[in-house]
Amino acid sequence: MTTASTNIEPKTLQDRMEPYLAIIGPMVMILAILLFMGVAEPARYFRLSNLNLILLDAALYMPMAMAMTFVITQRGIDLSIGSIAALSGILMAFLIKQYAFPAWVALPIAIMLGATMGLINGLVITKFKVPDLIGTLAMDLVYRGLALVIAKGLVLARFPDLITDVGRGKIPGFIPIPVVIGIATMIGGYWLLKKTYFGRYTIAIGSSPESSEMTGIAVNRHKIYAYVLMGAAAALAGVMLTGKLNAIQATSAPYFNLHVIAAVVVGGTSLFGGRASMLGSFAGVLLLSMMINALVTLRIEFFWQSVASGVVIVSSVALYTWMQKKDRDGARGLFAGLTTPEGQKLLRLSAVVIGVLIALLAVGALLAGDPVPSG
Amino acid sequence: MTDAPLVSMRNITKRFGGVTALSDVNLDAYPGEVLAIVGDNGAGKSTLIKILTGVYQPTEGTMSIDGKPLVLNSHSDAIAEGIDAVYQTLALADHLDPAANMFLGNELTTKFAGITVLDNKRMRAETERVLMERLGVRLKSLDAATESLSGGQRQAVAIARAVYHEGLRVLVMDEPTAALGPQETARTLNLIETLKEQGLAVILISHSLDDVFQVSDRVHVQRRGRCAGVVKTADSTQQEVLGMIVGAEEAA
Repeated sequence: MTTASTNIEPKTLQDRMEPYLAIIGPMVMILAILLFMGVAEPARYFRLSNLNLILLDAALYMPMAMAMTFVITQRGIDLSIGSIAALSGILMAFLIKQYAFPAWVALPIAIMLGATMGLINGLVITKFKVPDLIGTLAMDLVYRGLALVIAKGLVLARFPDLITDVGRGKIPGFIPIPVVIGIATMIGGYWLLKKTYFGRYTIAIGSSPESSEMTGIAVNRHKIYAYVLMGAAAALAGVMLTGKLNAIQATSAPYFNLHVIAAVVVGGTSLFGGRASMLGSFAGVLLLSMMINALVTLRIEFFWQSVASGVVIVSSVALYTWMQKKDRDGARGLFAGLTTPEGQKLLRLSAVVIGVLIALLAVGALLAGDPVPSG
Repeated sequence: MTDAPLVSMRNITKRFGGVTALSDVNLDAYPGEVLAIVGDNGAGKSTLIKILTGVYQPTEGTMSIDGKPLVLNSHSDAIAEGIDAVYQTLALADHLDPAANMFLGNELTTKFAGITVLDNKRMRAETERVLMERLGVRLKSLDAATESLSGGQRQAVAIARAVYHEGLRVLVMDEPTAALGPQETARTLNLIETLKEQGLAVILISHSLDDVFQVSDRVHVQRRGRCAGVVKTADSTQQEVLGMIVGAEEAA
């Protein structure tokens, strides 16, 4: 028998770091926040009640981050989860308030409704061949619209104990119930990812859809599984939100989708598919909740949260893309790219855009009269 | 090499609408033999092996394995008969480790509290065993993602997937060395020799006559959908085969 044995090379530092790369990013950022808040506002940030708030906020996003990890690993995306959460919550609220369903029946019904909406998403994407971005964006409008149609402007409030327990209950002397639910879903997700056909095929499909098809994997069916899981998780979040606020309305949960996608991507799950990190998603959820809580603690206006989330998404995706590039040769420093003809043209374009803007602002300022109050 | 062919294809014709991709092609593959199929682009090499691996069904003609008639309605029929192929793209999921890839679509499972779960430990052990025992390949790490392996190692993983099936008798390799450097090519050709010694009928599709003359026993030349001839590698030269591929003798 011929031997084609390979020489054993010592592992490089990067090889050894590779598996932990996903978790290092969010951990460094969490540490940075801890250090910063330790200097800026230690008394208010590190209060036990505030840590409780952070955990409660993070718990809401954990089931969705778990499911979104599967969706994104399969090269998919789901932009409809906020509306699924709202619509499931509304429908559950109606079942309880209007039709006097017992809470322990209405709650699983809500989750199954979410799963149904996820199933519709999955069918739209795989059977009607609507690209996931457009498909789930359109279904987001559908679900949100239905929620508005059903609830009108109503706020449904005051729910049975079971619902509020799920949203904000506390196991005496221990952690809040939603935190237990959130962590349990993350552990369940980790198990799904590592130990089941679904998890294995999720990575395979994201890594190479063609190869998966060739090895006989039912690609479309496993994509649909991921969207069903996503829908159920979003509905669970809807129930948790309803319980947490003890109220639900059609416009609830507007920013779920970007928040959850941000958490998953910050955690090192690749938007280009095939690379999943459940632990990273967990860390990502914690990071975002800590960041938003820090902004609140620092009394920064609420609207800046959106700015901060966007900056975190862009910078972490750029960072991961840069880190995963295997060959970084040919770069002679940070600004070397500016001297290439391509760089020169882009510089000129930027100069023109900014120049025209400044000129227009100057013209406006010169011709400005007295301010006119609007309305 | 025994007298009776393991697989025979007789008078195979394949038409796609009005286009005749193959006409009246015969092919025999023997156990413990490397049969090379060469030919220009569009000569019908791919169509021929896709019929053998059950991806296409012939318009006319018959096939037999071990003297028994062979009718393949799908690729999985072919696998059940012990005929499998390693494609140029290898059909690997680069982010998974070698063991996951070797068992992709065919995972080993175990019961855990009554639930069927993947048996990652056993798949790793089996991967290590098959790579070592059947192919003589040892990977430096079974933990690394497949994308970090060299071209030859990736090839080995893809071949291991095919040979893990105990009943495998015919292995088709489509352009295995096309994307490889000289050293990796040599390793892959070694693997082909190893498989041949184990009694498999190996069918090698290649554009590289160097590779073909290094490992094959016979060369089947396709030209414009027809078989332009079959020669024994030992009795032929690259020049002669090249002439058959481009049809120099006809023109002369």
